Amino acid sequence: MFSRRNFFRGAGALTAAVSASAVSRVAMAALPEPVLQTKPDTMAPLVPNTGRPYNPVVTLNGWTLPWRMNQGVKEFHLVAEPVVRELAPGMKAHLWGYNGQSPGPTIEVVEGDRVRIFVTNRLPEHTSIHWHGQRLPNGMDGVSGLTQKSIQPGQTYVYEFVARRPGTFMYHPHADEMTQMAMGMMGFWVTHPKVKNPQIDEVDRDFCFLLNAFDIDPGAATPKIMTMTDFNLWCWNSRVFPGIDTLNVRKNDKVRIRIGNLTMTNHPIHVHGHEFTVTGTDGGPTPKAGRWPEVTTDIAVGQMRQIEFLADEEGDWAFHCHKSHHTMNAMGHNVPTMIGVDHRQVAKQITKLVPDYMVMGERGMADMGEMTMPLPDNTLPMMTGEGPFGGVEMGGMFSILKVRKDQKRGDYSDPGWYQHPKGEVAFPWTGALPEPARFAAEGGQSMPRLQRKDATAEVNVRKPSGHSGH
Amino acid sequence: MTTSRNTAIRFALLAAPLLLAGCASLSGNGGMTPIQDAAKNHLGATLLAASTDQDLDGIDQRVAELLTKPLTADSAVQIALLNNRGLQASFQELGIAEAEMVQASRMPNPGFSIAKLKRGDEREIERGFSFDLGHLVALPLARQVESRRFAAVQRSVAMEMLSLAAETRKAFYAAVAAEQTASYMRDVRATADAGAELARRLAQAGNWTKLQQAREHGFFSEAVLNAARAESARVSARERLTRLMGLWGSQSAFALPARLPDLPADPQDRPDIEQVAMTTRLDVQGAKAMVEATAKNLGLSKVTRFINVLELGYQRNSSNEAPRQTGYEIGIEIPLFDWGDARIAKAEAVYMQSAHRAAKTAVEARSEVREAYQGYRSAYDVAKHFRDDVVPTAKRISDENVLLYNGMFISVFELLADARAQIASVNGSIEALRDFWVAQSDLDMALVGKPSLGGAGPSASVAGTGGGAAAH
Repeated sequence: MFSRRNFFRGAGALTAAVSASAVSRVAMAALPEPVLQTKPDTMAPLVPNTGRPYNPVVTLNGWTLPWRMNQGVKEFHLVAEPVVRELAPGMKAHLWGYNGQSPGPTIEVVEGDRVRIFVTNRLPEHTSIHWHGQRLPNGMDGVSGLTQKSIQPGQTYVYEFVARRPGTFMYHPHADEMTQMAMGMMGFWVTHPKVKNPQIDEVDRDFCFLLNAFDIDPGAATPKIMTMTDFNLWCWNSRVFPGIDTLNVRKNDKVRIRIGNLTMTNHPIHVHGHEFTVTGTDGGPTPKAGRWPEVTTDIAVGQMRQIEFLADEEGDWAFHCHKSHHTMNAMGHNVPTMIGVDHRQVAKQITKLVPDYMVMGERGMADMGEMTMPLPDNTLPMMTGEGPFGGVEMGGMFSILKVRKDQKRGDYSDPGWYQHPKGEVAFPWTGALPEPARFAAEGGQSMPRLQRKDATAEVNVRKPSGHSGH
Repeated sequence: MTTSRNTAIRFALLAAPLLLAGCASLSGNGGMTPIQDAAKNHLGATLLAASTDQDLDGIDQRVAELLTKPLTADSAVQIALLNNRGLQASFQELGIAEAEMVQASRMPNPGFSIAKLKRGDEREIERGFSFDLGHLVALPLARQVESRRFAAVQRSVAMEMLSLAAETRKAFYAAVAAEQTASYMRDVRATADAGAELARRLAQAGNWTKLQQAREHGFFSEAVLNAARAESARVSARERLTRLMGLWGSQSAFALPARLPDLPADPQDRPDIEQVAMTTRLDVQGAKAMVEATAKNLGLSKVTRFINVLELGYQRNSSNEAPRQTGYEIGIEIPLFDWGDARIAKAEAVYMQSAHRAAKTAVEARSEVREAYQGYRSAYDVAKHFRDDVVPTAKRISDENVLLYNGMFISVFELLADARAQIASVNGSIEALRDFWVAQSDLDMALVGKPSLGGAGPSASVAGTGGGAAAH
């Protein structure tokens, strides 16, 4: 994290579209200094040293925006600008974001804080910011055209309101939002309770991230903003596995994870090894009586969920979206299924015209993880990640909840792979298999067809053949 | 009539050696020397007019020797020059013309006539010795005419020889290109076959519908068509070359190189090409010579208009009833009705005709050489564009597609569809290179004679060249 007084002079390379002289230096001098983030790493929690105290959150692969107190008002400065975001090592994307990253920094305030946010627009087009879920004066709601004039390139607007209710929120543009959200403009907002709230438990670890999705052609870097449903990069905070950091906790920590969905589809988020309860939404804390245990919670578009659980099972627990295509990286969606199709001989002929052709997919997609073949520039392999036992064959919305008894309080660093106690890992069976019990009481068809065709298509079970050596 | 020492005969006999001094005699090789020189200078090839079985054997041997290696443009030309029977026939024509020239430059044979006549009891024996004096007078001039005609035949045979060489060269490039295209089309067919087979297996494995399989089969059937067309084009291009080289039987199994020669690093820059052509082109030279010849003919006609019918004869007539008559006789045509002005007018018209023809030849030669050079330059640019841009672009697309395939972004069928889209550029590149070499041959020909511009013979037409879209 760094800040520069001469920010607008130095950052010209990022924003070719807007001339730096478009922003008055005199005007800028009165504003809180904008703080930039250059790295996509998970930053340590920002412990408040001014204003009311609170227990800070950790933004997965993100950071919290520092503020200044100005006569009792918390002042933040967001700069909307084009950024380069590393989606995972090996791939960078041209996105739009705030203060050097997409998503923008998390804004953390305390219930009752008066908040003043300066928003400088260094995008090539106008913008605005909507404070999703907040109670605020209508004119501060950030819907350009409806509640305010849009912020033109080079202009700085100021939003000011009181953070009236505690909870989990987000911010995003409400001007040309199809483009601006598809380009990655969004950020998290957490309002901590001012006093002990019976609905809101104290926790030891408090993580947050946004779900977002991009459609970037393999070999390209800019998202296709016209895409509506067929996205190919499913992200947490504009990162994909293996670029998403692990959630490292101490055994018996009370853990809260806040998740907001700014993609265009729902995501069943699933934690292994533990049950959790949904303790809040962007509407506020859920009543305790209405909470029930789950291992997966579906987060609809535009929703936020905060889940809580006691991390009392040691290990490396998968934590992911349960839509299996969302734990892949970019892939072709119209590629025929090659399972069971032997084409080794045929491949030889194909290499006459396509010399670098290789056989793939006849056993399934796992070939992808095993083979390291050249891909287009700036493209991540579809299934990747090497675990302690082999390839994890994952991508996209996937991470790991690491629970360790010796993780220090307040230590968010990665403890490495879990060392399993003896006898607690699945192992290959070498003995004889017992005869399985047979179930004989099958039912019949409830409504058999009257005129049944004699000929039925012949479909045979295909067992893997012995060939290997891919 | 040797007994008499008639002055006229004496004159004739004495005059003949003088007149015929330095007259043409048969060259011994049928007048081939300038043709051979032209072949050597313009083509670096050797020529042999086959007059005997031994000559033919020698040619056969040399051809067999040249055929042991894959042909080059030069060796194909050499074979054609030795072995093309049409050209050999023209060489014989050259021999005929030379013989005629030599004939024309020789003194006419004197004539002898004898007549025995009977009138009642009278027996009259009339002996005559005649000599075509007019011919003798015109002999030096006639010799010039005939030698100019001989030179014209030589030029025309040289021209024929050079144009055969140019045609052979073009046919060679066309045949190699057709061979290359056919071989590429066989690869395409094999790959398409693989695609169709894969589609069949996908359907068999239950992964694809019959519709998808049938669509993929389309590429294969198109590829089969293209391969068949390319094969037919290959055969006809090869046969044309075979004919020009005069080959038959086992000779026609000659080997061609697998690829056309590469494009030269730079095109020739010839700003003075028209001027050069005016001095080097045989047809321009020939036209000029023809004008000179007809000018002399015109002069000749003027000179001989009265005397070409002059006839000198010695007479010795004897009769049993009369003393022997001796004496000589000169007959001369009196130009009472025909003063020879029609012949003069004709000669003048012939002269003007050849003058106009010469001018036409020069104008056309300039235009042809410009066109040939322009064709050469643009063929170079096109071939270079194919080499430096079209084919590398197709290759880049192909490379990127393989990368996409590696990442399972596209399937093997998209790779095949892309390969199909590349067929046009690969084929276009082969044809552009062939057209360049043909244009080069035309340009070379345009500098020595009339080129037959364009026309590299048949080429394979490729169906579905625009088909970049995946067939599924």
